[in-house]
Amino acid sequence: MSTLGRIDDLHISFGGVAAANGVSFSVERGELLALIGPNGAGKTTVLRMVAGILRPDRGRVFFDDHDVTALPAHARVRRGLGFTHQIVRPFYGFSTIENVMLAAGHDRTASPWRAIAGRSRTKARQKAQAFLDRFGLGAQAEQSPRTLPLGQRKRLEVARAIALEPKLLLLDEPLAGLSSVEALAVADLIRALPGQGVTIVLVEHNLSEVLRVADRLVVLDAGKVLAEGAPADVMARADVRQAYTGVL
Amino acid sequence: MSAYIASLVSVIGINLILALGLNIITGFCGQVSLGHAAFYGLGAYTAAYLAKLGAPLPLTLLAGTAMAGAIGIVVGLTSLRVRHDFLAVTTMGIGFVFLGFVRKQKWLGGELGISGIPGPGLDAVPYALLIAAFAMAVAALSLWIKLSWMGFTFDAVADDEDAARTVGVNVSTYKLTAFGIGTALAGTAGGLYVYFARIILPDTFDFVQSIAVLTMVVIGGTGSVWGVFASTIALTLLPEVSRAAADYRLLIFGAMLMLVMRFSPGGLAGLVHRRRPA
Amino acid sequence: MLFAELIVKGLVYGCMYAMMAVGLTLVYGLLRILHIAHAGVFALGAYMAVTVTNATGSLAFGFVIAAAVSAVAGIAIYRLAYQPILHHSAFVPMVVSIGLFIVMQEGFRLIFGAYGIAFDDNPWYVAHVDLAGISLTYVEIAMVVMSVVLLVGFGLFAGLTRAGIGWRATVTDPQMATSFGVDPVRVRYLNFLFGSALAGIAGGLVGLLNNYVEPTMGGAVSYKALAIVVLGGLGSVRGTLIASLVLGVVESFGAIYLADIFDRDAIGFLFLIVVLMVRPQGLLGRR
Repeated sequence: MSTLGRIDDLHISFGGVAAANGVSFSVERGELLALIGPNGAGKTTVLRMVAGILRPDRGRVFFDDHDVTALPAHARVRRGLGFTHQIVRPFYGFSTIENVMLAAGHDRTASPWRAIAGRSRTKARQKAQAFLDRFGLGAQAEQSPRTLPLGQRKRLEVARAIALEPKLLLLDEPLAGLSSVEALAVADLIRALPGQGVTIVLVEHNLSEVLRVADRLVVLDAGKVLAEGAPADVMARADVRQAYTGVL
Repeated sequence: MSAYIASLVSVIGINLILALGLNIITGFCGQVSLGHAAFYGLGAYTAAYLAKLGAPLPLTLLAGTAMAGAIGIVVGLTSLRVRHDFLAVTTMGIGFVFLGFVRKQKWLGGELGISGIPGPGLDAVPYALLIAAFAMAVAALSLWIKLSWMGFTFDAVADDEDAARTVGVNVSTYKLTAFGIGTALAGTAGGLYVYFARIILPDTFDFVQSIAVLTMVVIGGTGSVWGVFASTIALTLLPEVSRAAADYRLLIFGAMLMLVMRFSPGGLAGLVHRRRPA
Repeated sequence: MLFAELIVKGLVYGCMYAMMAVGLTLVYGLLRILHIAHAGVFALGAYMAVTVTNATGSLAFGFVIAAAVSAVAGIAIYRLAYQPILHHSAFVPMVVSIGLFIVMQEGFRLIFGAYGIAFDDNPWYVAHVDLAGISLTYVEIAMVVMSVVLLVGFGLFAGLTRAGIGWRATVTDPQMATSFGVDPVRVRYLNFLFGSALAGIAGGLVGLLNNYVEPTMGGAVSYKALAIVVLGGLGSVRGTLIASLVLGVVESFGAIYLADIFDRDAIGFLFLIVVLMVRPQGLLGRR
């Protein structure tokens, strides 16, 4: 395995409070890495710095052998570094399939020149339909995302990100708010992604699902990496258990 | 075609270019602009100034278009920096800055504007047809954009900028593109107006003019090419219908803005299609 | 002495802008509406002041009526024009506001004529006093005094009374305020009442200042007030007050030193655009 992404000494603070205080770790090609930690550990903040939504005060982000620290989020997406939002953000004015079509036609939207030169949406529609089918949304293609229950909106968020054909996908709490049955189903979909060539970094609170699907864990606590390694080893460590439960 | 009809066709054509241009900015890309008349004015002043120097029509028209589009992109830069509500006030401000500038420029005629502009080298009727041809081309361009991937991407930017970034859309570039195209078209309209009116006054490009163009867009249905097309023709012809309609033109515009927003925020097009007019 | 005079004259205008801009800020803070029709309320106040004063001979009565009619108009605007469309995106109320403003302006033209009206008896716009070498007309002094009294009064009301605190709470967090028993609709009425009364008084004062009231008089002032609201960071009363004074002074200097390049109305907006380029959140706004 080779390293696909790496962050080096990321710092950020909000109003004097350090949310990330020197976070470094890397993700290997083809793995499913879960970033876990108690509430307020800085997981989402780190993920957003990797995605380019937040600018770190200090530190660097490397992706696919390039320093992408200076790139805005959309440019990272173009290089294959995709992300999803914790609170799903579909285009509510679009139908479900149009949401995915826009992502599937990413070569068309790369620049206004390319965008104005082409009209045909047939190919993008076919691709989008295939992605929707894979994520169990085939029958909802023409519906507005407003009418979808949360579980399906979460799937849509992931399907749209996958339609961009990323190398690395950052998932921010894709299971939050789902019933255990739905969570199981979405986690299985995520589990299958590395096999399809998409490396995953997952931030998730649902520990039982995380332990079921993750290849490796990075534990954050108070803006620092507390531990990393194979799930069973990490969870066996006393300091990790303490960080989670507050007791020894 | 009588001279009266020719002038009517010319005015309708110019208004169509203005309204369809604003529709690209506000309707397609969702960026409010309350200063469209400033770009109309930029195009007109550029073309008029060059025409007085002896430049031929194609050159002045091109220069007016380029000038308005270039300044439009600069103004578009503010749309990247400021919140949505700020943009409305900023674009309104551009209008006042433009007027406040030209009014004080002696070389642009100050309050009296520019007069004695040479003719287009065409009679009134062929020139009206030329304007109409431009308007049709702009309508065709609008429809093409709307149905192309550019229109699709504009829709996404208008719907949710953050989500658009998630799918790799460079929101800034698309916004600037919308501003560039829309304001350049206003510049074209300004250039065409110059040879039609042969005299330009600063007040032709004031806030009321910006609002008149916005009215055409909003009443037709923000974002709908056919809606804007129909409402622009209807609202331009309105003062011709009767003396009263001409006297109370602004009153009618204002009342229509209020009523349409109250009962059909999608405009005329919203009455025809219930959701997202094409 | 020119320098000091420009600052003082700028502050006088700043006070007038503040009276306009506070109402706009309150509306924006509460409802996120760019209340362009505020210009109409301003002109309405001016017309009431001039017609009632001319009819009764009492300036005080004219201004009371101006404030009252403007307040009622403000409430009516909220109830009839804005309330039914609050659930739409910000674009819809803004367009309604523009429409309303045009209707009001044209209404004044129809009712009062296209040409302006002057006060029959207005010695105060020429009579002046010398303060340390700077001459100020009585109207200019009245403008400063009125705005200070009214805005300080408003500040005390908002800071000390129960209704005022409920109001501020509603602006900060409507849901929270509602759960503490503040009636948000009442707050909105109060908001339009106060903001519109202020605008009406400002309109009357500007009518006195120029001894001239015309249908379009609201335009330039309230566009600048909008610019001030943005400069102040949209929704911040403190920012609005400071921005009002700053703009007044900037204009006063610009009108002298940039006179060959821009007219007075353009300077305020030019300043706004320059500031926004540097500080997109406004002078005092937070991101």
